[in-house]
Amino acid sequence: MATHEHVRNVLLLAALAVVLAVLPPALSVYLKSFVMFTMMYVVLALSWNIISGFTGYTSFGHVAFYGIGAYTCAVLVADHGWHWISTLVVAAALAVVVAVAIGYPVLRLKGPYFAIAMLGTAEGTRVVVTVWDSLTHGGLGISFPSVENSLETYYAMLVVMLMTILVAYIVGHSRFGIRLNAIREDEGAAEVLGINATAYKLAAFALSAMFPAVAGGIQAYKVLYIDPPSVFFVQITIAMALMSMLGGKGTVIGPVVGAVLLYSAQELTWVNFPTAHLIAYGLFIIVIARFMPRGLIGFAIDRGWVRKGMVH
Amino acid sequence: MEKSDVRSLYLLAAFLVCAYSLPFLIGIQFGTVRADEQWFAYLATVVFAGILQGGVYAMFAVGLTLIFGVMRIINAAHGEMVMMGAYLTWVAFFYLGVDPLLALVFTLPIAFLLGVALQKVLLNAVVGQPELTALLVTFGLGLTMIYVAELIFTTDFRTIPYAPQTVQVTRTIAVGQNKLISFVMAVSISAAVYLFLKFSRLGKAIRATALNAEVAMVCGINVQRIYLVTTGIAVALAVAGGALVSIQFGFNPETGVVYTLQAFAIVILGGRGHYVGALIGGLMLAVLENLVSLMIPNGTAAVELAAYGLMIFVLLIRPGGLMGVKEA
Repeated sequence: MATHEHVRNVLLLAALAVVLAVLPPALSVYLKSFVMFTMMYVVLALSWNIISGFTGYTSFGHVAFYGIGAYTCAVLVADHGWHWISTLVVAAALAVVVAVAIGYPVLRLKGPYFAIAMLGTAEGTRVVVTVWDSLTHGGLGISFPSVENSLETYYAMLVVMLMTILVAYIVGHSRFGIRLNAIREDEGAAEVLGINATAYKLAAFALSAMFPAVAGGIQAYKVLYIDPPSVFFVQITIAMALMSMLGGKGTVIGPVVGAVLLYSAQELTWVNFPTAHLIAYGLFIIVIARFMPRGLIGFAIDRGWVRKGMVH
Repeated sequence: MEKSDVRSLYLLAAFLVCAYSLPFLIGIQFGTVRADEQWFAYLATVVFAGILQGGVYAMFAVGLTLIFGVMRIINAAHGEMVMMGAYLTWVAFFYLGVDPLLALVFTLPIAFLLGVALQKVLLNAVVGQPELTALLVTFGLGLTMIYVAELIFTTDFRTIPYAPQTVQVTRTIAVGQNKLISFVMAVSISAAVYLFLKFSRLGKAIRATALNAEVAMVCGINVQRIYLVTTGIAVALAVAGGALVSIQFGFNPETGVVYTLQAFAIVILGGRGHYVGALIGGLMLAVLENLVSLMIPNGTAAVELAAYGLMIFVLLIRPGGLMGVKEA
């Protein structure tokens, strides 16, 4: 991509940052938390996309890192009196360590086997957190000291989202990203060309684990109470995958668009159809995956609305 | 067998020995293991009950392994189909007054037809696509089934009181009559399906398609029709599993998720697509689960860990499972 296009994209991102930064005074409490959660899903979907979209390893248990982040923040703040911002650094570091430890053996598995192993890992982590009650208070969950935090968490999430978008953009346009794509298309051929697939996959996995952990920590502090079923919820993984797929996985803009659209749609149906919204969500997943596996971007490219090289 | 194949089999055996001794070690730690006669009687009962339960697990896991073997699709809604079977039986029992086992006579054909419809409408489109597509489609289906069930039946736990008497099997072992009946039914249904796959023309065609769909097609097998039949049988097996589960345990719309994961673990342990492997895997998982719940305090969470642990370690040590299925 030409330099001026990079400049244009970075300026667009900066404009988005400014708009979101000046917005809060104009927003009601409800809207503020709505925007915050939308940003959280952007972070989650983009991160998932780094391992599963760019590299092609479908992580069906990515919520594990989100949950680890949430618990790191909760345990350190509620039981050890840390300042919540500093726990986010620990959450990120812990997620990277766990990702490398899990990824080293599990990333050897391919296709459906990797997906199932990650699903098992996430559920297994949930059970371990539930059982280990001396550290995590088990199934009772952890409550934070109650404070008004909607503004701090909003800005924290904004910063994390901008960082995630920037990292995903850089990865998507670097040699690193191209090599990840090569692994996705044909891992054997990529290795023959001298790409150390194991190292690249591990790096992508660690990177994609880091931001969800931070987002999980912020989310925990925002809602002030967490327990294992809520932060190790399988449907959060599904949301990451579905949002990426809806927008167009393997691109940078796709998961962002997908997250904004899907989270808004979910919120609207939840508000308007409190009983039927879950059924509608299930059907929606089926329809997206069945009819639009390449997402909105694939749809647009097929119809010639956008040039193939234009969106990333 | 190749050398690496033998080595991974030994590794797997070593892992399984560790996995089965772990509950005992933890039990000794917590003092739940007592080496007296009464405790050994408990142990024998628990292992026996595990084997009975394993027969049922094996039967519905076979459904999952069939779909996986023939179409390379992971059916994430398999547990929900088990749950659907349980509710069909419950409705038949409470509203129509039909005996749960007799109800199979009409629930199985219904399930078969539902499977055929599912294949036509949804799954045909995802055969050969990346695994994420099939995972999301079936997961979405599972969610829809859960919430529809909640809408109709609420989230209350249901049970079917059926043959609650206890049977004295040996001097020390006593189990519920419903468990024995379920086991016998599960074994006969599994055996019938096995014989069908092994000896009938259609069964051979299914196995041929699983081995290599293209070659099967060249040999004149209508692969599309095989897909329909396979999913039909798989859904019927899940529904039959649901019927047998419903007369032993309580269930609500959310219980299906656990069955999906157990079925995954069993399929991985046995070797994907391998029929006999799934049967052995079912017995092994159920026995391990029962050992865990006997010896580890706060057992319900730890029981779940048994399935996940088995699944992950088997994948890492020997992705082909006990039977060493080669990646096609």
